[in-house]
Amino acid sequence: MGNLSINLKPNFMGLLKCLNSINWFIVFFSLINLSMCIYEDQIGKFDWRQSYVGRIKFAQFDTVSTARKIIVATEENVLAALNLKTGQVVWRHVFESTSSGNIQLLHLSDQIITVTGSNPYLVRGWDLSTGVLIWEWGLTLQKNEHTDFSEWWVQNGLLVHMVPKFGSHIEVSVYNVATGHNRGATSKLPAVWINEGCVLSPPYYTCISGSPGNQLLLSMDVTSDAVQIISKPLAEYTTARNGNLNPFDTNTVIPGFLLNEKIILIRGNKFEAINIAISEPSASVALVDSASGPLVLQTWNDEAKGFTLMAHNLVSGQRVNEIGWSDRSLSIPEPELSAVICTKTAREQHVCRILVTAADDASHLIQQEGRVLWTREEALANVVAVEFVDLPVSDLDAAIESEFDQKEGSVLAAFTRRLQSQFQQLQGAVRALLAGDAAAADEPPPLVRDYFNLHKIMVLLTDTGKIFGMDNLSGEILWKLYEPNLNTEAAVMFTRRSARHPPHDAYLTVVGKHEETGNGLIVSLNPIRGTPVGEQTLHLDVQILQCAVLYKADAQKLHALILLDKDENVQILPESSAPLVENMYMHVADRSSAVVRGYALRHDGERVSAKNIWSVDLSGGGSQRVVWSVSKPAAERIHSAGRVLPDRSVLYKHLNPNLVLLLTEGPDPVHKDVVVATCVDGVSGGVLSAHVHRRARRPALPLHSEHFLAYLYYNDKQRRHEIATLELYEGPERWVPAGAAFSSLRGARAPHVQRHAYIVPAAPAAAALSATERSLTDKHVLLALSTGAIVELPWALLEPRRALSPAGEAREEGLVPYAPELPLPAEAVVNYNATLLRLTRIHTAPSGLESTSLVLATGLDLFYTRIAPSKTFDLLKDDFDYYLISVVLAALVLATYSTKYFAARKMLKMAWK
Amino acid sequence: MSQLKSNKKLKWALDFNQKNKQLSTELPSPPGYSQSSNANYAESSKDSDSNLLLIKKLWDVALGPLKQVPMNLFIMYMAGNSISIFPIMMVGMLIVRPVKALFATQSTFKMVEGTQAIGQKIVYCIGNIVNILLALYKCQSMGLLPTHSSDWLAFEEPQTRLEHIGGGLSLI
Repeated sequence: MGNLSINLKPNFMGLLKCLNSINWFIVFFSLINLSMCIYEDQIGKFDWRQSYVGRIKFAQFDTVSTARKIIVATEENVLAALNLKTGQVVWRHVFESTSSGNIQLLHLSDQIITVTGSNPYLVRGWDLSTGVLIWEWGLTLQKNEHTDFSEWWVQNGLLVHMVPKFGSHIEVSVYNVATGHNRGATSKLPAVWINEGCVLSPPYYTCISGSPGNQLLLSMDVTSDAVQIISKPLAEYTTARNGNLNPFDTNTVIPGFLLNEKIILIRGNKFEAINIAISEPSASVALVDSASGPLVLQTWNDEAKGFTLMAHNLVSGQRVNEIGWSDRSLSIPEPELSAVICTKTAREQHVCRILVTAADDASHLIQQEGRVLWTREEALANVVAVEFVDLPVSDLDAAIESEFDQKEGSVLAAFTRRLQSQFQQLQGAVRALLAGDAAAADEPPPLVRDYFNLHKIMVLLTDTGKIFGMDNLSGEILWKLYEPNLNTEAAVMFTRRSARHPPHDAYLTVVGKHEETGNGLIVSLNPIRGTPVGEQTLHLDVQILQCAVLYKADAQKLHALILLDKDENVQILPESSAPLVENMYMHVADRSSAVVRGYALRHDGERVSAKNIWSVDLSGGGSQRVVWSVSKPAAERIHSAGRVLPDRSVLYKHLNPNLVLLLTEGPDPVHKDVVVATCVDGVSGGVLSAHVHRRARRPALPLHSEHFLAYLYYNDKQRRHEIATLELYEGPERWVPAGAAFSSLRGARAPHVQRHAYIVPAAPAAAALSATERSLTDKHVLLALSTGAIVELPWALLEPRRALSPAGEAREEGLVPYAPELPLPAEAVVNYNATLLRLTRIHTAPSGLESTSLVLATGLDLFYTRIAPSKTFDLLKDDFDYYLISVVLAALVLATYSTKYFAARKMLKMAWK
Repeated sequence: MSQLKSNKKLKWALDFNQKNKQLSTELPSPPGYSQSSNANYAESSKDSDSNLLLIKKLWDVALGPLKQVPMNLFIMYMAGNSISIFPIMMVGMLIVRPVKALFATQSTFKMVEGTQAIGQKIVYCIGNIVNILLALYKCQSMGLLPTHSSDWLAFEEPQTRLEHIGGGLSLI
């Protein structure tokens, strides 16, 4: 396609010339493959999309419009409407991810009012049913300080903005909500008693002030014209020495707050303590209105009883029995009442719908009796790592495989094994027949590998420390595991044993940090079922510098985990694998100092030790810092060792498996900012090549496979994104004979490096290379753009061998002439018009089909699809007409036999003549 | 069916020829005709004549492949070096024909066993081999022979590695 489009550009004669010179076949196939996109009826056939909004910050039930919704504003700066019945996103607005998109206020009246940003603020009104923006006005405060603690609320159709200046005064401004007209300018209320511990319960601002032991509880209505301070000694309400103020999680009734597990209301300019006990200090308390008066709801996660909810009548203090239950099966860690709506049925019964947000970012809509209407796993809006795991083969297949595995044994033994497995097959078939189809239809398809290995489990590690197992074909969550102490900031995931070794289960390990101590935290689990295995959850007492998986498996087919800790000690898990460690090297790049250290791991008979054998300083005089380090994928297969040139000689690739690409950036006295890409051998520490980009910033998204590398950076001079590509070649002669082992220590020879840079006419957010099982198919680059599209680009377009004006030979090789700008055609978008918001990562995995690569894009949305870089050459077309083929075949067979009959009759007749 | 036919024949057909044949063979020679006179001479002269002709004919056959060489050269020149359907078909014919002919040498020279038979066979084989070589040269110039290292690239063993690495940016 590339060939054709580029040749079309100059003129038609150019095309004719090209048709002469270029192989007819190429032209023919390029005509067929004119588009990479899918047909309209294929939408949703191989792909799915899940939309998320992020952890809910504010939520309110929409009681105004007919279609019942919940309006939510989230920590991901998303304003969305969720369907009350299904929890699906009705509409969604994604604001800027920076602080300018921060949602400060969500208010529901006949329309939605939001305040976003942090000086300047934007006040917007949205239509409730459609989510259309109705009006908007901006607000910029003159003084920027203290705005972090500012508060917004809507009162009597007026927007109130309060900026407290601790220890001095409160500034209150009141605006007309729709127009932004400032009603009474800004009023300054003197209040020397305010501090960080104050809580707002509109319109009252409440603080504890005074010396310890002599503290006062102070409150003030900040919107009233006359300044009136309510002041009471703290000792009247609590016996504790230190008062702790907390606002209600949801409050729609009366201004009030929590003082050390005690509810205090402000009524008629007076504090009023309510005699309702808060059962648990960590409980989330809400004050809601209902038909029988205001209710106090509290919920917490009880260790014995599980998720517990309790309700009291505010006026009488009586417990409301029909609201309140505990459920041990619900796992809602640290529940928080985001929104509650209570009505009364005809039978005078309370009916409450409660939106609960948990510490694992999941939101549950719970109805009476603890029935969960729906659950949204909002942790999936922040996926940090993904691992595709093969499913185990079915028991029957496993038996057949084991039959062929056993090499030893006599003919007779093999024959009996054969008979046995045949008998098992027969048994299975009979059982399936007896069970019937009805039973099979109800239960979900078993988690076994399909013929083409297209069905896998994706293990997703999220920012909150929740790990999900997801079916890749349907997107259904199969299991989830919440690890509250897991800090996934720099977490890595390894599949240490695949499901290919039948008696042993698959084994997956997450290496992260402990939330509080920063020490290593290792979670090992069975990725198929989500159950802990092996080391389970292991807390280390030391910080982990780096970790790796040993390339050799032990007798149980388990690859050992190598942990290099802060003191350069090595820990092997399991320890029995320590003798297997040989020829293993590790490298650690320090971000700020830009020093890369290489370690050789040696087993001395007892334990494994790491010896620092090299170190490379990439700081360039102290200003540079390392931002990315990328080595080749561990299990990469390389199909071709070289590139065939038109004169039929071979240009051998430099396939150094130990190559590491390090991207550094930093300021430069002459060129403002400089980006340096260094190729370092991870074993010997030798620098194979280094490239400097002047006046460039933000190196990102490095790709590394086979003999080529690519990375993006922002060109500061031209103000655009560029992608630099490198290819490493050994030359026409190979350095080591074919099939020989590559050793980095065998003497350093610098490879030929070819490089180019291309302009990317978009802002890429993520990049990945397609991955196939045997690397026979072409490599394509997937670029996720900030516009929400994922573009599939053939590597041929990024190749550094593209010459400016290809001479005869290069043209014969099929190289596309160099054009500085990369084409991003609309038909190369793999996610068609399903815009994916805030994409952060793309993950690819090979399938059992050589042509097909599985893709998962994560960000605010999850999008899964499969791509075929060299077209589906090993697969029948999706719309292949099986019926037509079988009808034609049957007709042909019929015709053959009938003609045979007629021919015989004719012969007989002829013979009679 | 043929079996049936012949059976029917046997059953129903009247054979009128048999007796006639017998009769004709038993007919006496016409008057004045001597069977023995001159027969010996004529026989021998005819025999040497046809032998010479056969040898000549067989030499023609034996030299046939060599005579094709200029024609083949012309075809090769006309076909050109591009790889498309017609040149490929021609090259295929160029190879397949002599090879077939070589295999059929025995049957071609079956009818004679003369003094020159061995020489003829050798010439015939040489001619065919020359044709094959020509065809191979053509293949070579078209680039169809796997003589370059690039042709064997796909069958090479993948590179293995001695050392293994792990690591990356510091996790702290």
